[in-house]
Amino acid sequence: MTRGAVQPSDEELVAAVLAGDREGFGALVERYQGRLVNYLFRLLRNAEDAHDLAQEVLVKVYQVLDRYDPQYKFSTWLFRIAQNAAIDQIRRRRLKLVSLRIEDEDGEGRDWELPAPERGPYGDLRNRERAGAIQRAIDGLPWEYRELILLRHYGELPYEEIARLKQMPLGTVKNKLFRGRQMLKEKLQGFLTD
Amino acid sequence: MNERPDHTLYRELLNLELDGCLNVEQRARLAAHLAACPECVAEREQLRALTGLLERSALPVEPDFKQRVMASLPAAGWESRHPRTWSFPVAALAVLLAAGAGLLGAGSSARPGGAASAYGVLAALGGLLRAALVAGVGVTAASWRWSEMFVEQLLASPMSLTMFGVFVVCLNLVLVSLIRRGAGRHGSGEAAAAGPGAGHRPGARRGSHRDGRSTRGGRGR
Repeated sequence: MTRGAVQPSDEELVAAVLAGDREGFGALVERYQGRLVNYLFRLLRNAEDAHDLAQEVLVKVYQVLDRYDPQYKFSTWLFRIAQNAAIDQIRRRRLKLVSLRIEDEDGEGRDWELPAPERGPYGDLRNRERAGAIQRAIDGLPWEYRELILLRHYGELPYEEIARLKQMPLGTVKNKLFRGRQMLKEKLQGFLTD
Repeated sequence: MNERPDHTLYRELLNLELDGCLNVEQRARLAAHLAACPECVAEREQLRALTGLLERSALPVEPDFKQRVMASLPAAGWESRHPRTWSFPVAALAVLLAAGAGLLGAGSSARPGGAASAYGVLAALGGLLRAALVAGVGVTAASWRWSEMFVEQLLASPMSLTMFGVFVVCLNLVLVSLIRRGAGRHGSGEAAAAGPGAGHRPGARRGSHRDGRSTRGGRGR
């Protein structure tokens, strides 16, 4: 690829898809898959569920793409749909937001491991501890802070988009993110010096 | 009086810095404060460590995720409302034209004097089209929305367009068969008029319809 080539904007890609270029949607998927899966993973606490729901969300987005209003950011619209889908699923399954466990094929739970490059028995243990601590810290946040932290750190949405998505003033978003980070920092104090 | 600095304010600024949202004035103010406040410098380091920790905790996306999504995309409703190419409508039109030409050709080659029959078919089709246009304009002129809705429904999917095409072809088949039937009667009337006794009735051609009917009736049909 040519270095420094200008990438089409989300809105340009949506217009291309609506004009018949299905591959344009592939570019959007590629652009958002990481953020979307991780955002949903932190809400659902299950990697497989996060992938499945991310797929459902993207399919739904494709189905109603002609309803997208380009005066808003595509990412705002995408994450609004994702958030609603996640909340629906959490309600349906009545997830208990307690611990971070994912199930093996044999039904036994195991902790989610971070893909950090710490190897060896101690490294693996430390990765597991850290992953569990992060999820517990996030789960321990009050919902109003948690959703903003997830949208900012995993959805990578800027303040303005979060404010629009949550329909709250920009100052409130900044304040809640500040408070949420303070809480996370306290909970993860032991891992911040790693 | 030496006033204690408001760390809360600077910590808010540190958060904004982390998100790249500081303006020039805020950046200068924060830099001046950090130069004299090791507490806020440590806070900045912790915030950066927190962000790094959250980033490193990202779940890797399954390698085939994009392929799975693309393979599971359904045919969305808007796709048929915004046809990707004109190949289908053009192909449908070509099929209709070919069918019409075939019907006309069959009609004209079926018997001698086909050119006249083809002309009759064309004239009848023209008349039908004119009548349909008049009726259609009359019905839809009441509201532009109706016509818009009709066209929208017609183009809503390849299926509806195909159904409409099939309807037009069937209509044409019925029409052509009726015309051919009428032409057949006409022909048999002419034949009857040209047969024995025709010479006894000059001007029989003008009354061919009546004659045709009476002739057929005379055959005991």
